[in-house]
Amino acid sequence: MASIAIRNLTFTYPLAESPALRDVNLDVEQSEFIVICGKSGCGKSTLLRQLKKNLIPYGDKEGSVLYGGVEIAELPDRLSTTDIGFVQQNPDNQLVTDKVWHELAFGLESLGMDNQTIRRKVAEMASFFDMQTWFRKSVSELSGGQKQLLNLASVMVMQPKVLILDEPTSQLDPIAAEEFLKTVYKINRDLGTTVIISEHRLEDLIPMADRVVVMDQGRIIAGDSPWKIGDFLAGNSAGERHPMFYGLPSVMKIFSACGGSKMQKGLHRTSDGKRIAPLTIRDGRLWLEAVLEDSAKSASLDPVRMPEEEILPGDAIIEIKDLWHQYDRTSPQVLRGLNLKVKPGELFCLMGGNGAGKSTTLKAVAGLIKPQRGSITVDGLKVCKENTGKLMGHVMAMVPQNPQALFTEITVEEELAEALYDRKLPPEEVAARVENMLETMEISHLRKSHPYDLSGGEQQRLALGKILLLEPKILLLDEPTKGLDPFFKITLAGIFKKLKEQGVTLFMVSHDVEFCAEYGDRCAMFFDGDVVSAGPARPFFAGNSFYTTTANRIVRQWNENLVTWEEVAAWAEQNTIR
Amino acid sequence: MTEKNRTGLGETSTFAGYHPAVNFIFFVFAIGITMFSMDPAFLALTLAASWTWSYILSGSKGLKFNLLMTIPVVILMAVINTLFTHNGATVLFYLFGNRITLESFIYGLAGAVMLSSVIVWFSCFNVIMTSDKFIYLFGKAAPVLALTLSMIFRFIPLLKSRYTEISMGQRCMGRHTEKSFLEKVRQTVKEVSILISWSLEASIETSDSMEARGYGLKGRTSFHLFKFTDRDKKLLIFMTILGLLTAAGCIMGLTTINYYPTIVLGTWNLMRILTLAAYGILLFTPAVIGILGEKKWQALQSEI
Repeated sequence: MASIAIRNLTFTYPLAESPALRDVNLDVEQSEFIVICGKSGCGKSTLLRQLKKNLIPYGDKEGSVLYGGVEIAELPDRLSTTDIGFVQQNPDNQLVTDKVWHELAFGLESLGMDNQTIRRKVAEMASFFDMQTWFRKSVSELSGGQKQLLNLASVMVMQPKVLILDEPTSQLDPIAAEEFLKTVYKINRDLGTTVIISEHRLEDLIPMADRVVVMDQGRIIAGDSPWKIGDFLAGNSAGERHPMFYGLPSVMKIFSACGGSKMQKGLHRTSDGKRIAPLTIRDGRLWLEAVLEDSAKSASLDPVRMPEEEILPGDAIIEIKDLWHQYDRTSPQVLRGLNLKVKPGELFCLMGGNGAGKSTTLKAVAGLIKPQRGSITVDGLKVCKENTGKLMGHVMAMVPQNPQALFTEITVEEELAEALYDRKLPPEEVAARVENMLETMEISHLRKSHPYDLSGGEQQRLALGKILLLEPKILLLDEPTKGLDPFFKITLAGIFKKLKEQGVTLFMVSHDVEFCAEYGDRCAMFFDGDVVSAGPARPFFAGNSFYTTTANRIVRQWNENLVTWEEVAAWAEQNTIR
Repeated sequence: MTEKNRTGLGETSTFAGYHPAVNFIFFVFAIGITMFSMDPAFLALTLAASWTWSYILSGSKGLKFNLLMTIPVVILMAVINTLFTHNGATVLFYLFGNRITLESFIYGLAGAVMLSSVIVWFSCFNVIMTSDKFIYLFGKAAPVLALTLSMIFRFIPLLKSRYTEISMGQRCMGRHTEKSFLEKVRQTVKEVSILISWSLEASIETSDSMEARGYGLKGRTSFHLFKFTDRDKKLLIFMTILGLLTAAGCIMGLTTINYYPTIVLGTWNLMRILTLAAYGILLFTPAVIGILGEKKWQALQSEI
């Protein structure tokens, strides 16, 4: 018996013109691990919310959603609480109490358990999630990753049979996200909990999945094992690719571009003898090992060398010299003699691990913090208190990580116009510029919506548009690709390209290796308070052995100069034995 | 060791490790009796005990803070009472035709000592009664109250960090460089309004998450991590006996003192000495427990 059965489900929000879900059918078996993917706004969240009684949105519903044969909307409250767990996107907003241990106990308190039982269950969960060291901490002291793990743990403590996660890692950095997803996988394998998860970050998730479901405009357009889904999304030619194709792991994209499962050689076999497409880097390497021409494998290549950095003193638009910073007298140094130059009109990517000081650098450039030593010059002006008025909002502007920090108005249109309120422009001029920006950001259709009603990706676009209306020469970006679907990342890259053509310099801090490799002009690796290597994107990634794109890691034993998946795919296609 | 002298034992003091009920009962007795007794012997005891314990808990840093807090209070109360109360038999001198009496000066001083001791006791209360103990004790009365308190303690740092973020976001747009007062006010109002709409929006998700975890089901309980052990029971009984003894003494009028028109001290008899002794022992108990705990810790360390 399927644990969850969705039958002919069509759902329309009140006042909406078209249904958010159309004729959805889905059976979820016990202990299955299902990944749901699709563009932002395709109905993933709406579908997931139908599975949890108290979260079912208001609207017109046709068809049925059954759990163990009972309509979910009619489940007894207690059963719905214990059997179906739900984790949402935002780590902060889901936390209710002030202490970690209290948060863990919250659900059990609701169920009316006595102190002794709660103590035991909480202890078990804290051990399973390895939370002993921060068990007694205040939730405000935790990192984003820890907060989200706590949200997961405080749902798991009720021992649900089904766990539903709605883009749980969209607010996390890649390292915390990977750890979170590994924990979800462990829950599925060790406890047998059914997992239904929606996510944009498929690289880590697809190898874990039993089934991948693709949604488009409220419909389920595919639902198959992960090794078959690549073929479906790739279509028959490059033009027919589904937008979600770009979100697949690089291995699968390369495999599909080389012909997909029409190729038989070198494929891993399952226990029942089926040949399956590679999903992981290891499988990808083994497959290429088997199919590559010997000539390609042994070709002696000249590695691309990192050119000697030659930026003349007057050439750099941002120049950081010997910067030192610590937040507290007792805390360690975050920046240790940092030197950095950014050229005009380039997309510069500052990369590196968590807490390395990347965001601090950005804040220092923006004049939001005052470093202890060193100097920063932006467009010929020294960054200091006297100059911030001249620099911020005029020469440069920064897009904050949380777009909400900017929103003050009740419609998207007015929100954009607000950016110009102190510029003393005639109203027609403001309207024209706003109109223009709505189009550039592709949010014209949302002009009358409330900013808070937009999806995460749309909010990011609105915030970016608002900042761009200030017409800065230099744009500072803090993790601009966080939480974006793979398709919009391509649009964003297009916007960046247009800005560069207009002469805007982009300085971005990011964890997103694939994005930086594909679209960045120059990249720098930040470690221990200083830049350890910097250079044009290609030699930069070709020179790294671990901190590089997945595509590069697959083929670097044969050809380390290929960085993006498209390059690897083209090369592999030419050099495979037919 | 020098660091410890500066900041004190804080939450690591042995008394803080006792059950919240024990901690709370102590403060009820200590502060309650202090507030209603003007007997010089009582005042001397409570003054000495509160400052000693405060030094043990918060170190020289706390001492400095307490001095800054209490000295103005002492001066103000003594001066005001002397100037405005003209009762009392012993006239010191006349000021603008008003009698300035020794009794009213002493009464003012006693009141000031009482009040400053209460302030110092509360500074200790702050260190010992952390938010989770507070929540636990009040949650005993009503689970909803416990949850509400816990949510408030969660909300305060959240709002603070959100406001910092908003303020930074506004700086990113080149705001916050306003010169005139009116513009500054306008910018602040804008930031507060962002904070409110953001928080309201976020609270929808919070209430979803609460409901998803069964909030609203019947028979909610209140979980805590505190254990009531033998040691707590013994200390609780010990303190209650001392507290009741003192209170009984006070009610019997053993510590009543008249300041006006002339100061009349209570007579010394066995009962009065007993009451005072009980009160003194009670007040110094946590300080002694703290010192003994620290000694024991050092002894255990040196054995390794």
